[in-house]
Amino acid sequence: MFHKSNVKGSKLSNQAPTCLLSEMPQGEAFRIVEIRGGPGLQRRLLALGFHRGDLLVLDGEAPIRGPLLVRNLTTDTRVALGRGIANKIIVEPVRNNE
Amino acid sequence: MNDNKPVIVFVGQPNCGKSTLFNAIAGFKAQTSNFPGTTVTHAHSEVLWQGKVYTIVDLPGTYSLTPHEPQEKVVLTHVFQEKPDLIVNVVDASLLCRSLELTVELLELEYPMIVVLNMMDLAEKKGMSIEAEELEKKLGVPVIKSIAVRGLGTTELMNSVEKVLNEKIKPQALKFSPEVEKRIKKLQDLLPEDFPVVANKRFTAIKAIEAEALAVDKFFLENNPEFKTQLDQIRQEISALREFPAYEVIAAERHHLALKIFEECCRVRHARVRAAEKFDNLIMHPVFGLFFLVLIFAGMFYLIFKVGSPLEAWLLKPWEAIKLAIENRFGQSLLAELLSGLVQGIGGGVAIVFPYFIPLLLLMGLLEDSGYLARAAFLLDTFMHYIGLHGKSVPLFILGFGCNVPAIMATRILESRRDRLITVLLIPFIPCAARTTIILALVAFLLGPWWAVGFYFFNLLVIAVLSSILSRIFKFSSPGLILEIPSLKWPAFKNIMKKTYFNLAEFVRFAWPILIGGSVLLSLLSFMKFDRLMNDLLSPFVSGLLGLPQSLGVTLVFGFLRKELSLLMMFQALGVNYANLLSVLNQEQLLIFVVFVNFFIPCLSTLAIIWKEMGRKVALLSVLLNLSVAVVVSLLIRLAALIF
Repeated sequence: MFHKSNVKGSKLSNQAPTCLLSEMPQGEAFRIVEIRGGPGLQRRLLALGFHRGDLLVLDGEAPIRGPLLVRNLTTDTRVALGRGIANKIIVEPVRNNE
Repeated sequence: MNDNKPVIVFVGQPNCGKSTLFNAIAGFKAQTSNFPGTTVTHAHSEVLWQGKVYTIVDLPGTYSLTPHEPQEKVVLTHVFQEKPDLIVNVVDASLLCRSLELTVELLELEYPMIVVLNMMDLAEKKGMSIEAEELEKKLGVPVIKSIAVRGLGTTELMNSVEKVLNEKIKPQALKFSPEVEKRIKKLQDLLPEDFPVVANKRFTAIKAIEAEALAVDKFFLENNPEFKTQLDQIRQEISALREFPAYEVIAAERHHLALKIFEECCRVRHARVRAAEKFDNLIMHPVFGLFFLVLIFAGMFYLIFKVGSPLEAWLLKPWEAIKLAIENRFGQSLLAELLSGLVQGIGGGVAIVFPYFIPLLLLMGLLEDSGYLARAAFLLDTFMHYIGLHGKSVPLFILGFGCNVPAIMATRILESRRDRLITVLLIPFIPCAARTTIILALVAFLLGPWWAVGFYFFNLLVIAVLSSILSRIFKFSSPGLILEIPSLKWPAFKNIMKKTYFNLAEFVRFAWPILIGGSVLLSLLSFMKFDRLMNDLLSPFVSGLLGLPQSLGVTLVFGFLRKELSLLMMFQALGVNYANLLSVLNQEQLLIFVVFVNFFIPCLSTLAIIWKEMGRKVALLSVLLNLSVAVVVSLLIRLAALIF
């Protein structure tokens, strides 16, 4: 599930294994490394309070590969994200000592 | 600056309770619900406070001052062009951290401002304790705590408004980190003399850096190639600081300011998992969630029918008696016809429409205020993908069960024009309160509740099929779902009562005159035998194609004004009362009548709003679509009746 990152231009992800938001296991905290996709999507997510470095937890999923219910721990917001969008957000696991 | 009536605008993120606060101050004037994006246009009200009149403007919610959605642009127009005397930034205290980002951005305007921490009760339940005084110091503007649903904090707010306006207190923008601030200052100094300055130079410079396409300044930039180069240069410099796009750097700066303020002013005790949260997890569960969803809607319509139908039977009696008395007293005169038309109109409005309408409004209010709509969108997103839409259309369809008009207005929350078009074309197929009345009064009451259940399923099926067809015609990639899920709330009883009253008053004001007028007009037409002429003209269609009694022609035409009108006029046209209806119509005809009235054309108000929101072509398309579906479905029923 995890793979070595080949995300370009992302300083945060030098060594840490990254994965897509859609691959996050439920209930564990992950950090946003990068939001891919056009500026339109980036701006929308920024406006909703999704920034690089924020901590996310997957709260649940809708049936039959439906949208994901994501909680942003940093700003304490809950958002439903479609899979297409969740596939554009790259996250890394938060190490225990953090 | 308007000295006589200072203009106060309410600005805040979606679903922070601006409209609820507005209503608490101005009386119930704006539609509210626990769903982000309920307010799509602004509401104005003049408020008298301690001898002074203020104009209060309730704006749609916006996440930032760089707009993405049409209703967010409404906010900008107001904030920038109308130069408000005071901004009231309404904040959902339970989402303080994220909300502060907009607060920080609003402070950049350096307009007089007050921050209202709304939903303090919810924040406390979440284990947050917010120090308002500390926040006041950090932001440099007054901070008021409120719980708008209970009307708490309005007095303090209005006192503060008076004080801020009298003392002309203006806040200072908070500073970003020095290296970013340096670049902003640089651009600020480079702004040409004739550059359109909004609010102040710093704000204008920041917006120039942030905006992806400066609509206003495109022309300006073309004429000032030198400035454009400088702007691009500064954008690159800022971008190089953090290695991401300039607009993201600015957003991150605000994010950090907001985080810092939040950490200094708010302590969060890790609250136990609340019962509400457990319940929330259950209703959003992939399996139980769907089960609840079906249960909630089935229960809702069952309840409406259970309350409505005995009430209807009971309320109908006196009107029947009055009608009979009129006929006995006046015989076949014009006066008798007109009087009985009048009685039929009033009686129908009271006895047939109210018993179903009121419970529907109450239950819809409950659903809207609890925050369930967003959850339904989440659960049904996948299914909506099958029919070419996504979850964000679900709440709009649900709103359509109340009335199609606000549902069509609310389609502004959809980001893509294509999704909006399809949703607008489909909403008129959702049986609104008026049509629910017809379905329950005719199908459920006369043929039995299971027929009505079947009818609803069939109706949803028609919508699904249409949606699949439409989404194949309008092929564009639809953006994925991004929808904020608001906290579940116990709906405030008072608020729901007020809302129901508000909707009911609208109904009485607009629908009753049409119902009564239409009914009287039909009496007049029939007295002058004019209805026969119309019926004869329509006969090939009504009896030939649909197989309905010829006398229903005029009735169907009038249904365009209000769908309930068809129901009332039907009895009049057929000359029977409610209980004996099945003696003149058979099951098949009854079903065809209901199907046809239900689908044939959006009612006048719906059509008007489609025209206004989407233009004439879409309105026309909607009429054609509805008419053809109504005919096709009616024919299918005839065919089915022939076979079985």
